[in-house]
Amino acid sequence: MSYIFSVMLVSGVLTLLVRAGGDAVTASMLAGAGEAVTLCLELAGAYLLFMGMLGIARRAGLMEAMSRRLAPVTRWLFPNARDASGPITLCLAANMLGMGNAATPFGLEAMRALERYNPHPGIATVEMCVLIAVNGSALQLLPTGLLALRQAAGSAAPAAVVVPSLIASAISTAVAIVLCRFSMRREAAGRTRRTAGARA
Amino acid sequence: MSVSAAILPLLFVALVAYALCKRVDVYEAFVEGAAEGLPVLLKILPYLAGMLIAIRTLRDSGLIDRLVSLLSPVSSRVGLDAALLPLLLLRPFSGSAAMASLADIFNQYGADSMVGYTASVLMGSSETIFYEVALYFGAVGVKKTRFAIPVSLAAMAAGVIASVIVCSVFFS
Repeated sequence: MSYIFSVMLVSGVLTLLVRAGGDAVTASMLAGAGEAVTLCLELAGAYLLFMGMLGIARRAGLMEAMSRRLAPVTRWLFPNARDASGPITLCLAANMLGMGNAATPFGLEAMRALERYNPHPGIATVEMCVLIAVNGSALQLLPTGLLALRQAAGSAAPAAVVVPSLIASAISTAVAIVLCRFSMRREAAGRTRRTAGARA
Repeated sequence: MSVSAAILPLLFVALVAYALCKRVDVYEAFVEGAAEGLPVLLKILPYLAGMLIAIRTLRDSGLIDRLVSLLSPVSSRVGLDAALLPLLLLRPFSGSAAMASLADIFNQYGADSMVGYTASVLMGSSETIFYEVALYFGAVGVKKTRFAIPVSLAAMAAGVIASVIVCSVFFS
C-alpha cells in the first residue's frame, strides 16, 4: 500500500509540477482532500442509518442468530469469520442487489468484527483480504447506476448488458477466490520454509 | 413501484417489529448502534484523504491520458478497443471518473454499439478497488494489506478479458 501510494503521489505531483506549476499541485491536492471530506460526509448519513439498524438487530439477538445460521455457508470462503459472518453476508447480499450505500456500512462492520479476533492487529487477516477481493470483483445482480446511465444515453435495450455483466463478474469473482486460496497457500508455505530455515 | 426498491423499507419495518416483540428499547438500540458508527467515520477520513489526494493529483497531472495514448497501439493489437482504455485505467481508482468516461463513450459511439456494450459490461463487472481498500482497511487501521490489492487487480484483469470475450459472443 505504501509503495502504491508513493508511486501514485510522486508521479502525479512531479508531472503536474512540470506541466502546470506549483500552484496547480497545491490546488489539486487540496481538491483531493476536500473530496475525502465530502465523501465522508455523504457516507456518514448512510452509515448512521445502517449502523443504527444494526444496533437494533444486535439488541434483538438477530445478528448473533444470523451469524450462527450462516456460519456453515460463509465457512467455505471465510473459515474464521466468527461474529463477522452476519455482517459479511449482509454486505455481500447488499452488493449483489446493487445497494452500494447499504453494503459499505455492513462491510466496515464486518471488517471491525474480523479485527476483533485478529491475532496481529494492523496486519490484514486472510478473511479481510478475501472479503475485499470478493467485494472488489463486483458480483452484482442489478447494476442500477449502470442501467440508469444507459437509459439516459438513449439505449434501446439498457438491460441487455445485465447477463453479460453477470457472467464477466462471476468469472472475476471466481478468479479472486482461486487467487486468494493460492496466495494463502503460498504465504503459508513461505512461513514454514522460513521457520524451517531458522531451525536449521 | 419496483419490488427491489421495497425490500429495504420492508426489512426495516420487520426489524423494528421483531425487536419490539423481543421487548428491546428500539430507540436506544438505534442510537447506540449509530453512535458506534461515529468513531469509524473519523477513522476512515485520513485514509480516504490520502487515497483521494493521490488519485486526484494523478488524474489532474494528465498521466492517465499519456498512458492511454502510449497503450492504445498495444491494446488494439490484443483485440481491446483503444476507446475503452480511459475507462479501464480510471476504473480501479475512481467510480465517478469511470462513470464520466463511460458517458463519454456512450456519447461518441452510442450505448448500443459494440464499444458501448463492452464498456457497460466492463463497468458492471469491476469495482473501485483502491478506494475500497483504503476504506475497508482504514476502518480497522490495517496498514499491511497482504495480497488484497494484487489479487483484486488480477481478478479485475480476468473480468476485463471475460467482458471482451462475452461481449463478442453476445453482441455480434
